[in-house]
Amino acid sequence: MNDQELRDEIEKMSNKLIAIEQPLRNRYFLSCESQNAHDVCRFLFEDVRARFVIATAIDSDDCYEILYHFAYDELGTIIHIKAHIRDRENPSIESIAPFLPGAEWIEREIHDVMGIVFVNHPRLERLILADDWPDGVYPLRKEAKR
Amino acid sequence: MSWKLWSLKKSPWVFHVNTGACNNCDIEVVNCLTPKFDVERFGIKLVGTPRHADALLVTGVVTRQAAPRLIRAYQQTPKPCVVFAIGACACNLGIFRKGYHVVGPVDKILREVDPNAIIAYVPGCPPKPEAMISGVIKALGAI
Repeated sequence: MNDQELRDEIEKMSNKLIAIEQPLRNRYFLSCESQNAHDVCRFLFEDVRARFVIATAIDSDDCYEILYHFAYDELGTIIHIKAHIRDRENPSIESIAPFLPGAEWIEREIHDVMGIVFVNHPRLERLILADDWPDGVYPLRKEAKR
Repeated sequence: MSWKLWSLKKSPWVFHVNTGACNNCDIEVVNCLTPKFDVERFGIKLVGTPRHADALLVTGVVTRQAAPRLIRAYQQTPKPCVVFAIGACACNLGIFRKGYHVVGPVDKILREVDPNAIIAYVPGCPPKPEAMISGVIKALGAI
């Protein structure tokens, strides 16, 4: 697949995306709402056959953002999917771990430190926080006390 | 000098406790044991359990999860024993000072259970093997 074919593949998803940004030849930022992120990730993983690198979470101004980072190694291209979670009270998003087991632990970690619930995750238990850490306290949220 | 203290100073056996280090201090601790520095020529030997140890080499900031485990390792070490706080984090929290998982430097945690604990500090990020050897010699000279 060359650069143009990859762009065409990504544009097949445009009805589920808010924006497609391509600041560099080998870098894409795909913004989407949280309910579409699962489908976009599944398409990238199973149809485009991109490699899952890692996911990250940001406590942004008006929403939580989960960023899924995929690499398409044949072209050296990195594709970031920004999923916006608008509900700040009960943030939740569909888990990608059922079809992508490599995402299982990072989703558990994000659940620990940011309190985002991954729906349909096979085992959403505490991973990195201390055993006696109180429930409902999420240390990397903006409102967390030092 | 009691025979216990004499045997401690003659050949201090050390147990390595990582309470949340980034691994860099641990690599330098292992480096002390490699043929270049070879601390076994001074009788300093790494052992597999605190019950056989005369000294604890504690690396890293003490995290919330590791604090009770550090206390248990200390309580199981036969007294008298020397605790070496290796690296900037173990001595004074270093760059992890404001971390949510941090409960305190090594001396604060150990002084809560034993106010008379003998603690030696080897600062550095990470300390050189020479600094660790020098710290051991100074600490053993002081007791």
